[in-house]
Amino acid sequence: MPSPHSNRVAYWVIAPAVFVLALTSLYPALASLALSFFNWNWGVQFDFVGLRNYLDLFRSAEFWQVLVQTFLFAVCATALELVLGIALAVVVDRLKFGAGIIRTLLLTPLMVSGIIVALMSKIVLDPMLGIVNYVLISLGFPPSPFFGTTATAMGTVIMVDAWWQTAFVFIIVLAGLQSLPIEPIEAARVDGANSVNTFFRVKLPMLRPVLFTILIFRTIDTLKVFDIIFGTTGGGPQIATEVMQTLAYRKAFSFLKMSEAMTVMVIFSLIVLAISLIYLRLEERMDEHGY
Amino acid sequence: MVINARRDQMERLLAYLISLAAILLTLFPIVWLLSVSLKTQRDAFAMPPKLIFEPIADHFLGLLERPGFVEAFMNSVHVTALGVIFAIAIAVFAAYGIHRFNFRGKKLFGVWLLLAYMLPEFLFIIPMYVLYQRIGWYDTHIGLALVYQVHSLPFAVWLIRSFFKEVPAELDDAARIDGCGHLKTLRHVYIPLAAPGISATAILTAIWIWNELTIALSLTFSDAQTITVAVASFRGYTSINWGQMSAASIVAIAPMLVFAVFAQKYIVKGLTLGSLKG
Repeated sequence: MPSPHSNRVAYWVIAPAVFVLALTSLYPALASLALSFFNWNWGVQFDFVGLRNYLDLFRSAEFWQVLVQTFLFAVCATALELVLGIALAVVVDRLKFGAGIIRTLLLTPLMVSGIIVALMSKIVLDPMLGIVNYVLISLGFPPSPFFGTTATAMGTVIMVDAWWQTAFVFIIVLAGLQSLPIEPIEAARVDGANSVNTFFRVKLPMLRPVLFTILIFRTIDTLKVFDIIFGTTGGGPQIATEVMQTLAYRKAFSFLKMSEAMTVMVIFSLIVLAISLIYLRLEERMDEHGY
Repeated sequence: MVINARRDQMERLLAYLISLAAILLTLFPIVWLLSVSLKTQRDAFAMPPKLIFEPIADHFLGLLERPGFVEAFMNSVHVTALGVIFAIAIAVFAAYGIHRFNFRGKKLFGVWLLLAYMLPEFLFIIPMYVLYQRIGWYDTHIGLALVYQVHSLPFAVWLIRSFFKEVPAELDDAARIDGCGHLKTLRHVYIPLAAPGISATAILTAIWIWNELTIALSLTFSDAQTITVAVASFRGYTSINWGQMSAASIVAIAPMLVFAVFAQKYIVKGLTLGSLKG
């Protein structure tokens, strides 16, 4: 149906989008790249320093720790959300009555802003006054300091992110399950496969493209985490939960080290870019194989 | 077969139990937050926790007196409306362009949309902060709504395009045979037929903008401060002001929860169609 002769109309209709995206993404991305080669700290000093910001960053132990922590957070949160979300979707898919209302209730976290999720978790997970520790103690478990110590803070923010975003995985996998063709599943059941076997041998392989999309979206999204950490630990204790985006924020807006902040973001963006491009390639390959 | 039916029943019972546990775990923190917003400080800090208490409205009333809080709520309404209008108005045309034509640079445009959506916020925010300080757009509704397009526009283009794909090609052809130009085809064929999808896109965009913190925190200060930034300002005072912090959070969540109840069908449609067919 596309008509190759009307290129001009095509350019006219995409022109506004191109203009807005040029202003909001292309310009700032290039500006960040350019300023990362200077030593600008929001003052009069503005000298070209070449790669010095990059070399300084690569030599700083803090940067490497934050990079590792960012990936630790992303990998753990994504894995947890995928496992919980898929499990929940399988469970809700089995329900006959009330599935609609149950689905609605399980979607609520997606309506809640990250900063509110963060503040809410500070209240329920307060080491002294929080309800969760009260319940833990009542059930005979030891209380946890949650956000309070370097050993437990990262695990806690991962848990909070899972509370928030598992619903995203859940709703998409559920829709995927419900749109699967019925014949192969019936065939497996007739052959005597139980529901566990049916799920792993028949349904899961058919869901592969959907799961792949979710995996990439959650990975990128968790790598970019900001509000959950900003609102709970602020990157602490010490820098135990500092991630790339909170590091850039701190450098730019607390210390006004603009060039350093932009250097951090340029490196981080290249990493995210690489992951996105690998995703595009893999998806193309999956399309070719007819999944 | 009897054994199968038994097993089915057991599995279904288990499924209900797990769902119930998941719902409890999902709703508990929100309900707890609501209870803290209605408790006196003494009740909120009581151990063991008070499940039955006399609710008070003080924290909510206090918000009205808190400088800038009501304004922040209204700022969020403005910025969300503005951001959704920008995104949908621009995206409908761009989606039509991608759906309907093959043009040089189409693939590049697609990759650009994806990257704008995926790259980290601070890569864009810091230079925009610098630019806005210079041209006087810092702390303005329009400035903020514009920067939101870096995320909202790719999302809207991508989603609306997948809804346009569902429009039968015959209708497009018929419109053309009847002598409709592109604007008319878009207006009389694509927009009406994809209206539920466009609504879903608008709703999801609104939710995203309303809840956004990172960009608003960096690009607003007082005049355009949004509700999430106002709520975030309680951060750090948590030990002394749980009640008002909870009340502020509830006020910020409430419109979205009401939204969710009334627009649930659209929300699910938008979320799922985007990733199932994107």
